[in-house]
Parts: sequence; C-alpha cells; structure tokens
Amino acid sequence: MGGDWQQLLQSVFIGLIFSFLLAKLISFVTAFREENLSVTRSSNTDAITQPSNSRHHRKLSVASEPESTVSEGEMSEIASRVSDDNTSVLAEKGSVSAGDAFLDDVATDDEDDDWEGVESTELDEAFSAATAFVAASAADKMAQKVGNDVQLQLYGLYKIATEGPCSAPPPPAFKMTARAKWNAWQKLGAMPPEDAMQKYVDIVTELYPSWANGGADKPKGGDSSESKGPIGPVFSSFMHEEESGVELKMDAIHGFAREGDVANLLKCIENGIAVNLKDSEGRTPLHWAVDRGHLPVIELLYSKNADMNAKDNEGQTPLHYAVVCDREDISEYLVKHDAAVDIKDNDGTSPSELCEKIWPWMQPRDKVVE
Amino acid sequence: MGESNSPASDLRDPNPDENPEIKPGEASIEAITRRVQESLTVENRHKFWETQPVGQFKDVGDSSLPEGPIEQPTPLSEVKQEPYNLPALYEWITCDLATDEMCGEVYNLLTHNYVEDDENMFRFNYSKEFLQWALRPPGHYKSWHIGVRVKSSKKLVAFITGVPARVRVRDEVVTMAEVNFLCVHKKLRSKRLAPVMIKEVTRRVHLENIWQAAYTAGVVIPTPIATCQYWHRSLNPKKLIDVGFSRLGPRMTMNRTIRLYKLPESPVTPGFRKMELRDVPAVTRLLRGYLSQFAVATDFNEDDVEHWLLPKENVVDGYVVESPLTHEVTDFCSFYTLPSSILGNPTYSTLKAAYSYYNVATKTPLLQLMNDALIIAKSKDYDVFNALDVMENESFLKELKFGPGDGKLHYYLYNYRLRQPIKPSELGLVLL
Repeated sequence: MGGDWQQLLQSVFIGLIFSFLLAKLISFVTAFREENLSVTRSSNTDAITQPSNSRHHRKLSVASEPESTVSEGEMSEIASRVSDDNTSVLAEKGSVSAGDAFLDDVATDDEDDDWEGVESTELDEAFSAATAFVAASAADKMAQKVGNDVQLQLYGLYKIATEGPCSAPPPPAFKMTARAKWNAWQKLGAMPPEDAMQKYVDIVTELYPSWANGGADKPKGGDSSESKGPIGPVFSSFMHEEESGVELKMDAIHGFAREGDVANLLKCIENGIAVNLKDSEGRTPLHWAVDRGHLPVIELLYSKNADMNAKDNEGQTPLHYAVVCDREDISEYLVKHDAAVDIKDNDGTSPSELCEKIWPWMQPRDKVVE
Repeated sequence: MGESNSPASDLRDPNPDENPEIKPGEASIEAITRRVQESLTVENRHKFWETQPVGQFKDVGDSSLPEGPIEQPTPLSEVKQEPYNLPALYEWITCDLATDEMCGEVYNLLTHNYVEDDENMFRFNYSKEFLQWALRPPGHYKSWHIGVRVKSSKKLVAFITGVPARVRVRDEVVTMAEVNFLCVHKKLRSKRLAPVMIKEVTRRVHLENIWQAAYTAGVVIPTPIATCQYWHRSLNPKKLIDVGFSRLGPRMTMNRTIRLYKLPESPVTPGFRKMELRDVPAVTRLLRGYLSQFAVATDFNEDDVEHWLLPKENVVDGYVVESPLTHEVTDFCSFYTLPSSILGNPTYSTLKAAYSYYNVATKTPLLQLMNDALIIAKSKDYDVFNALDVMENESFLKELKFGPGDGKLHYYLYNYRLRQPIKPSELGLVLL
C-alpha cells in the first residue's frame, strides 16, 4: 500500500516538474527579452560601452535562437553563459568609467583568449567574499544570530547569482525547510545575477558593517588580490596578538594619561583621585604620560603637584622613561620642572647615564658645576 | 588650554586604544575575513592554474602519482616561437637591466606598483642595486627579464622575471627558473595581464630547454609545496610602533619595549667578521654540507656563492666566523636588504628591513650566530630583522625575541610534483 502511495506521489511530482518546466521556459524566454531591452537601454545612456554592448547583444540573440528546443540541462548552461557575459560587460563598464588613460582598447582585448584567466570582476570578488564570509560566520559562534527571513533571502539571491533563475522542481510541501528555500529562490524570478550579487553584498554589509569596512572596500579598490598575488613575495608585519603575561592592574587615571586625555584626567583629579596613584607596576600617571609622549598631560600633572621624581617598581623615574623613549622635548621639560638627572634605578643607572644623545640638560649636575 | 591640546596629542599617539573590550570581537572578524580571502583566492585562481602543469588540489596525498616532472619536455621546435598576444596598444620588451636607464624604469614601476601589505601602509622598495643583483646572477638569460609597455608612450606598465637556479628536490638536482617580480601597473589591474605574463615567461623559459620553475606567493593556488611564516625581530621598536608595523599593547610601556629589544653594540663571537672573496670556497663547503639535509634546497656552487652571498653594500651582507686559533671558517650568516616605502606617514618615509638569508653554524651555536647578525643589523640602522621559519630558523626565533608575522609565504614548483607538502623546516630555499 505504501508503494502505491509513493507511486502516486511520484506521478504527481513528475506532472509538477513538467508543468513547471514549461512555465520556466516561458519565463526564461521573457527574461531574455528583458535582458535585451535593458542592454539596449544602457547602450543609449552610455556611449562608451557600446562596442561591448553590441557584442553582448549578438551573443544573446545567438543564445536565444534554439529556445524552442532547449532541454533543462541546456537551459542552465545557457543561463550560466549569459551570466558570464553579463559580468564581463560589467567589468568593462567598470574600467571605462574609471576614466583610465590606458584603457582605450575596450574592443580589442576580448578577441584574444590570452587574457582569459585568473582575475574576475570586482562584483564577483565582493560577492564571493560575502558568501564566504557568511559561510565562515555561520560556522563561528561569535556571529550574531541572523533571522530566518534574511537567511532565506540570502539563499535565494545566492542561487540566482550562482545558478540563475530557479529551474528546479519544487520539493514536496512537507519538506518545510527545503520548500521555503525553493520559494525564496523561485520568487526572485529572472532577476539578473549581478543584481542578485549586489543585493547579497548589500545585505551582508548591512548585517556586518565591520565586514564592509575591512573586506568589502578592498575588492572595490581592485588591487587587494593583485597586491597579494598571484605570485611574488609577501609583505608581513607583526601579527597583533592578545596580550599575555603578568596581569597589570591600572586605574582609569593611568589610562587617561596614556591616551593623552587631558579633560578626563582633570576630572579624575578634581574627583579626588590621587595624582600620584600607582598601578601594580608602581607607575604614576606621569610615567604613563611620558611613556606615550603627551606633553599637555605632563604639564597638567605638574600643575597639580605630581611627584616629578616618582619611582616605579624598577626604581625608574619619569625622566628614565623620557630618556629611554628618546623624547627630547619632554626630557627637557621634566628637567626644568624639578626632575633629577642623577636618581639611580634598581640597576644603579641614572637618567643621565642612560641618555645616548647629547642633550645639555641631561648632563650630571656635578659635571656642570665643574 | 589642556582641552585644545588634546586632539594634537591624540594624533601623536598612533594607537589610541579607547575600547579594549571590543578587541576580541574585532580580531575574530579579521580572522574570518582573512580566511575568506584565502578561500576566495583558491576559488578564483584555480581556473587558470588547473590548466597548468602544477600539483592539483585533488591529487594531494595521492601516493599512486610519482614524484618528479608532471609533463615531459617537448622538442624545442614545438615550443611556441611567437610571444603571446597582447592588446594592440601594448608590446613586449626585453629589459636590459645592465643599463641604468632600463633599471631605473623597472625600479620606478616596482616602487609605485609592487607588493603592499593588506592595509596599504607599506610597499616594497627594492633598490636598483638589489634588482641588478637579483636578476643578473651567473648564467642569467636577458630574455627572461620581460616588460610590457605602451607602444605610443613607451611607458613600462608590467614586468616579470625569471633567473636560472639549481634546486635539489630530494636526490635530484633540477635546473629551474625562479620566477619573481611580477608587477602590473595599478591602473592596469583589471586587464588580466598576470596570466599572460606568466605564460610568456614560461614560454621563454621553455625556449632555453628548462621545464621547471620555483616561485612563491602570499595566496594559496594549486598547490603549495610548503607554507612558511614570517617572523619579525624589532631593532627600532619605537619607529616600528610609530609607523604601524607593530603595535604597543595598552598594558605595555614604550620604555619596557625599548629595553626589551636592546642589543649589545658589537658582536660577541670571537672571529666574527665580514665575508671576503677568499672565503668563497669555505662558505660554499659549509653551505653545501648544511643544505644537504633539507628535502628541497638550493644547490650552490662557488660561482653562485660569490654572486649571492659575497657582501654588496645595501644589498646583501655575509659574515663568517673565523676561528682565532686555526683560522678555519666555521660558521656563516647572511641577510639581504629590502626597504619598504612607508605610505602616508609624516615623519618616516622608509622602513629598512633585513631579511635572513642563508645561515650555517658548525662551531658557534646558531642562536649566538644569529644574535650577532641582529647586532650587526642594529648597528647598521636597520629597523627590523625578518626571517622565515625555513631551515633551522625555528630554533632561534622565539629566544631571540622574534614575533610571528601576519604574512604567510607559500612555496610552489612548476611542473614538478611532490607527493606531500613539506614542512618549512625541510625547506632550504629562500627566494627574494
């Protein structure tokens, strides 16, 4: 009995597929008409792209000739051919509108398949980056939860962009997820693949603005992949690692001194935070300000009677810091505002001994006296 | 007064760090973007590389395939005799780097259009002397220095090179082309020039009856024989932080960072001195002995050593340890000089980097030898010392305070299959 039921289902299925294919064929043909229309429109508005557009036009009419006999397989093949052609038109438009003195040869380069190869269009790249990003972030737990609707929408756009209009049979209604996906794809009809790509990228950009800042700008520049490849050396700089090691305990006032944030530092002091407050390494706000080179903070701290010769846990004064960090103006300011050049740190070294430069104010006092 | 000053002082600080808590999230987005870039490149590029005789992704680990050449040489008469077609406005030229004029043109193209970091803060700035050194080794072919220029203006807009090298792969010494300096003018990036450049250099290599090549890339294409990582040793930490090459953590002080990377003023190993012409035989012996342990390595003879390792001012530095007692040369270290332009920094315009080249320690501990190399580089005003984790480098990187870089370098062989990728520590080959 179960077998009968299955058989029935199967025949209903085949019927559905058949009628769907027929409908698809019609919509496909309409789609081609629309394509032609839009191409003609764009060549009216944009005279520069005309050579490539008319080529495009030719190819399309060739492709649509055997329309009465297409089978499903051929159909998708044609669809992908059409989408390829669309993207190449898009690429040429892109480069022409870039207003490039080198690119007067739009018409010549396509006759030559030596130019076929590695690079793809900017939109292609942005789209692939976006899809890969979505795949990666779906696998990643940190990813924010994306609503079901949006997921389906992305799915539909993805299918249009990669496979063209939906030509698959609808899955049975009881397969809810599959059916929902199919609907999402099918309802986009004959949307041009590049529109789908663009929409996809837009949605991802909206969902993950930080992705847009980091990744999506680069394909637009057109040279990120080129700068990294295809072959040659690599420019590497330090990997930004999470900080490890001993946990430093510091207060807000140290942070403000470090960042040169005069206003907030002043607020701290006015709220009664000690101006010589030490962090767990014995550093005062003055140490931090000198370390990062913020003279205005140093002036403020001096005016608030900060200890100009405070020692950290290694016995180093702010002047030690200024000398090690090669901060000429700050070391001069410190010396002229009560900092001593001869205080020894725990290694027995004074700022004047540490100083490798010939700065007159750094000479030891007794030497000056002599 | 304090308030009006604060924007200026913000500017002075290259890495204001207002929101330390957000960092982990940002980092993982960055990580994802990086992964994306990697996977992306694989997809985009294998259209071209699948048509080339290179190890294919699908064959990785297939032990039924033999190691060695993928395609046998064809008779020279069957090699395409005409250059590949270029669009009508462009033409191929052969660049004679011996002339200052041509060398200057190539230098200008590369200086403005060659490799940059991901954030476009730095761009390699190979010097003219370096280019002549890198491209004119013993037995080089002028025809392998290939340019593309605009016919009307004669402007050079693209460049690619090969130089001949003997590379030993396991027991087999193979004459190969080392392909490098592929550069397409920024304004022509959309023109798909790279594949035709690669095909043209391949054709010209074939015309010399050479059928294999070695090259590197920052991206994954079919199929790396090894994947290496760059490490960096700060020599001038303050400048590196100021220009954004490295980052000062919010809980770290500049004072401590600078003291951490301090080096003695002169080398500590007795008998450590600059390599001279008379050292060539001894250095060749040392190198041949040392490199024989690696699965894939350069095969140096004395002519090669004289060219590649004898010191040239601001290009390559070589040092030996000569035993004060026996006067025997027992150890050798070297680095090459590759500066980079710093883009858009008001204070600094050039980053001076030393790159570890070939090092052999037989009597002096490698760690001490490399520490002396660092000391020399510091005394010559280099900002950073870079090294790949190839050969035995891993044994000194961490201890000598190298930090991992964000750059991966993949090594490739053209028309030569390895069954399995090798580890960086099995690789004895450094490309420039």
